[in-house]
Amino acid sequence: MAPLFKSKPTPPHGEPFVWLGAMGLAVGVIMVAGLFILILSNGLSVFWPARVVEFKLKDGSIVAGEIVREQVQAGGAKELQIHTGNKDVYGLAYRFVAETDIVSRSEPPGYLMVGRIEYGNAILQPVSLVLGDGTTVKADATTFDDRLQSLVKEAAARRRQIEKVEKVEIGAINRKMTASDVELRALERDSKLDAEHREKRKLAIKNSTATLQKEYETLAAQARDLRAAQNRDFLNYRLATGEERKESAGNLMMFYHPNSLGFFGRVEIFFSRIWEFLTEQPREANTEGGIFPAIFGTFVMTLMMCVLVTPFGVIAAIYLREYAKQGLIVRAVRISVNNLAGVPSIVFGVFGLGFFVYTLGAAVDQQLFSDALPTPTFGTGGIFWASLTLALLTLPVIIVATEEALVAVPRGIREAALAAGASKWQTIQRVVLPSATPGILTGVVLAMARGAGEVAPLMLVGVVKLAPSLPLDTVAPFFHLDRKFMHLGFHIYDLGFQSPDSDAAKPMVFATALLLILLVIVMNLAAILLRNRLRKRYAIGTF
Amino acid sequence: MMNPADQSPRSPRPVPERFLASKATLRLDALMTWLIRIGGVSIIIMVLGIFVFVLSQILPLFKGAHIEPQTETAVVANAAQVKAFGVDESSRLPFVYEGGDELRFIDLAQNGKIISEKLTLPVGARITAQDYHAGNHRMAFGTSTGQVGLIDISYASEGTGAEARIRGSAKTSASIPIGQEGAPVEMIGYGDSGSGKLFAAVQNQSGTWKLVVFPLVQKNSLLGAGKIEKGDETDLTALIKGKPVKLLVPQTADSVLVADESGTVSYFFLNDGHFEKRQEFRPFSDTASPAVASMDFVFGDVSIVFTNPAGETRMFSLFIPQGTDKRIYGQTRTFSNLPAGATFFAASERNKSFLIGSGTRASLLHATTESTRWEQTLAFEPAAAAVDGKFNHIVFLGKDGKIRVLGLNDPHPEAGWKAFFGKVWYEGANQPKYEWQSTGGSDEFEPKLSLVPLIFGTIKGTLWAMVMAVPIALLAAVYAGQFLRPEVKRVVKPVMEIMASLPSVVLGFLAALWLAPILETRVVSFFLVCLGVPVLAMLVGVAWSRMPVLTRARIKPGREWLALLPLMFLAGFVLWKIGPLVESLVCVVKDPATGKVTADFRLWWPKVTGCSFDQRNSLVVGLMMGFAVIPVIFTIAEDAISNVPNSIIAASHALGASRWQTVQRVVLPVAAAGIFSALMIGLGRAVGETMIVVMATGNTPIMEWNLFNGMRTLAANIAVELPEAPVHSTHYRTLFLGALVLFVLTFVLNTAAELLRQRLREKYKIV
Repeated sequence: MAPLFKSKPTPPHGEPFVWLGAMGLAVGVIMVAGLFILILSNGLSVFWPARVVEFKLKDGSIVAGEIVREQVQAGGAKELQIHTGNKDVYGLAYRFVAETDIVSRSEPPGYLMVGRIEYGNAILQPVSLVLGDGTTVKADATTFDDRLQSLVKEAAARRRQIEKVEKVEIGAINRKMTASDVELRALERDSKLDAEHREKRKLAIKNSTATLQKEYETLAAQARDLRAAQNRDFLNYRLATGEERKESAGNLMMFYHPNSLGFFGRVEIFFSRIWEFLTEQPREANTEGGIFPAIFGTFVMTLMMCVLVTPFGVIAAIYLREYAKQGLIVRAVRISVNNLAGVPSIVFGVFGLGFFVYTLGAAVDQQLFSDALPTPTFGTGGIFWASLTLALLTLPVIIVATEEALVAVPRGIREAALAAGASKWQTIQRVVLPSATPGILTGVVLAMARGAGEVAPLMLVGVVKLAPSLPLDTVAPFFHLDRKFMHLGFHIYDLGFQSPDSDAAKPMVFATALLLILLVIVMNLAAILLRNRLRKRYAIGTF
Repeated sequence: MMNPADQSPRSPRPVPERFLASKATLRLDALMTWLIRIGGVSIIIMVLGIFVFVLSQILPLFKGAHIEPQTETAVVANAAQVKAFGVDESSRLPFVYEGGDELRFIDLAQNGKIISEKLTLPVGARITAQDYHAGNHRMAFGTSTGQVGLIDISYASEGTGAEARIRGSAKTSASIPIGQEGAPVEMIGYGDSGSGKLFAAVQNQSGTWKLVVFPLVQKNSLLGAGKIEKGDETDLTALIKGKPVKLLVPQTADSVLVADESGTVSYFFLNDGHFEKRQEFRPFSDTASPAVASMDFVFGDVSIVFTNPAGETRMFSLFIPQGTDKRIYGQTRTFSNLPAGATFFAASERNKSFLIGSGTRASLLHATTESTRWEQTLAFEPAAAAVDGKFNHIVFLGKDGKIRVLGLNDPHPEAGWKAFFGKVWYEGANQPKYEWQSTGGSDEFEPKLSLVPLIFGTIKGTLWAMVMAVPIALLAAVYAGQFLRPEVKRVVKPVMEIMASLPSVVLGFLAALWLAPILETRVVSFFLVCLGVPVLAMLVGVAWSRMPVLTRARIKPGREWLALLPLMFLAGFVLWKIGPLVESLVCVVKDPATGKVTADFRLWWPKVTGCSFDQRNSLVVGLMMGFAVIPVIFTIAEDAISNVPNSIIAASHALGASRWQTVQRVVLPVAAAGIFSALMIGLGRAVGETMIVVMATGNTPIMEWNLFNGMRTLAANIAVELPEAPVHSTHYRTLFLGALVLFVLTFVLNTAAELLRQRLREKYKIV
């Protein structure tokens, strides 16, 4: 008789599949971690000041620049991508050099990395400074760096002044002129007005326009003088190719010695570059400078979306859960709302464009802004319509989250409130809503994360690659609902795909992607933490 | 309820008012109830209104033409004799030419006041043939004295506001003698493409006829553009069998079409300054009445509508048949029959619609979709008809001498079920096909609005994404749900959830700028890794399970994945590195021209399969979209798997099942509903994914399953084209239709997932 249990156990059945499952998880983890590391390293290395390497090539030419990366071509040949800067001379800021062409490489200390307003960075060997008063400071003079530093500072101060004159003061005059233009047109159209009165008004407008014109000319002269001062001092320099050039000091933003900088110096540059990235305006077709308008646009839009969506979502959820008669219809509505969260975002964009922009917006223009027509005010994409579209997109998220939070409020607490004589609304207001708040907040934060990362619908309803002004500023009415805006996600799309020089744009794309990802991760983490708190709370609350 | 006798004397007397809510509270409660009801219902209606709005935007696409009579003006004395009839672009000033030496404009705004324009004809000549082209308001004519010339009709508006008038004028050019001197011109055709001008004329001298063609040439001299003169004349008479009955010259001015009395059409093509007879065809050879009753161009002059005396209507278009290299005419469509051969015809100058009719029967047809936009038996018999340049009016000149203007409202003639979902034989194509090309360079462009390639692209992208995502996500979910240690799961789960909300624009840009260039050169390596790593994992599993128990205990259950990590890295690295080696052995391509042998997958794939290889291809999209889908599937499936009650798992183990047997026989069936719904929701996400597809494919609307070329999905198509589409145009509404298809698709998918889950949940309700 065979024994009931074998003495020697056979290997457990199906063990390879367990290992296959383990592989699946490992692959998932590797993918997630890899993605994050990839973006983190690429995004941060953008700001790190690398060394400038000078290459002597086979054909005798000399190339100087930062090594960006190495890549292997199809045939196995290695080549280096080098950031050479000096876009004004070389045409492109990046070039590829085949490894076999390189005769020798060195890191001479004389190189200076200069950030410029126009044409991006320059990698150069300084020769001398020629000042407006005729004096010259040679590059080997000990005071050279200090002199250059003070020039850069002066230039920055003047730039701010120019901006103030041109943007703020002349801008104000422009607005007044446009307003009187609109008034003039309205006068022409108003048939009820008697001729005498009309002429009087016209004259008054003409007079004020003349005054404004005069003011404008004074300011314009002031700006001209400042601009002239920007070109007073010069930096003479030599390129790696030996060519001598000069750059006016007004075009310089910052400089450092990439090859003689110590570690802490590099860290300082690193953080100052990050700061610039976060706070400056974009330059050079968005490939240089900062992304402040995009951050601000994303922020304002997400916040506005939040303000719009939260009350509506919460009211709808309270209605569905607390007031509506639970039956087949409510069940169907619940499933529909739930599924709306799975509808592609682009569909919401289509709706936003068709309904908000072309239907509502056109109607608003007809009623309120008919003087400006045919130039649309609200009849074109803008931050308000974008927020509204995203609010619609995230409404299901809020409704579902709120409903879940309401369901989770223990029955006992409700009954206690009712037993104590509270009315239905009082129960909801004082008992149910407070204990559901973390759940609702989780939903709101998740909705914000989704809204901040969404790009496809925004492309249809008002996001632009370069907005001339922010949606929120110091000009009345301060909050410009009709303005187009910039957005981090769209910035990535635009830089990566519409940019004429994709190599030059790549660092910015990575940096922007890193920022966007961090934003989304932080919001999600906040939501998760909130949810965990909520769980603990109920763990105590249930009897 | 309360018995006063039970009451203890010390307790206070009950005050019923104490238990009454204050009026303010009640009012607030009622108000809030009311507010929330109204608010809730209206928000829900608003949200569901998205569907209604999108639907309302696309409904006009499926409407036919709306036509209503507007004015009726009696004027023309001898309408049955009308030779030419035309209108200005807003149908206010039609003209009639009845032979003779004047052209009459009829001012409909002034109740049919006739303004005659004298034509300056050669002495003693009479117009015996004319050919009016509505697109440029130009009439070519031939005279009884054997001369030809052109009459330019021009319209100018005068005055503004209520006094606005349109004035018409006719300018006659100098006549040119042609062919046989003095022989009357019986038929004439003229085409003008701007750079080329071509005349064709049939002369008939008492029964002997002659077909001559000649271009007008502009002599350029040093002093600039010179005079326009008659070019070399070609006599094509010998190349035609029967007597010509119809003559057509397209506005491309590069060919001549002649139909003879037997119903044979000859197509002459101007090739390098010489005319060659390129084709001879009989449009109605297979019917009882093979003669050609009418022959007219549709807008764009690529397609010709023929009718025979029995009223059969067919369209022939120019295309290059498969395997040949010359553009010839071939039948592409058949329209419903007219009562007899067409007696009037007017092509729109805006789109491929045309008005055709015979007797009192009139129909407005659309050439591309083969659809009848409008059809009616009229109360009168038209002698001629015209469609104005804005496609806003149809103007009939009745045989009763009345001009009738009909308002025409047909904003979307090129739309329809057939255009969106059927195979359509477009102009220039050699067979019917599904094609999407919504905008083109020229006015004559025929929009190709088939949604099928887009739906195909959507399915293709989704499929590759699912192929990539499903195995990894499900394997990971099973492992995480059943085997992973809880403390690790507490980290892995939220990380995956965060991944699910990663902005797709980031994934899209990584796909295009990082992944695509890497994969382009390393396809073989990639597949080796894809194959090798799972095989390795299985082998490790087999080997490990045969180890002695004590050895096996070194790796605690739930930590296998950690043990695998270094192995996988190693294997992945090795396989990645030997990829090029395998490539150089397998993917060898010999260049037939130079004999040079190269080993490159990018060249090898097209050679072996005949499919193209693009850098931004479905593989890249599938991978990155898989990235977006994996967390979605993982999270939901893992929830379902870990929610399987421990009691039944324990029962299974107690019966001696191994842990995998338990998963396979107990856990998976119980969690099937949740897993299924995870797959559906993942599918929904992939279907609607926009940015990854926009960025990582070439966005070409092609229909091939090839893994190494791109596609265009519905969502990407909307994102790319909607910002440029004019509001309420057909293109705009078609994109809305695309959005509706997406909406319905995902909505149905999600609802099905939800309902199935609920049903399966009840079926497997164990605890």
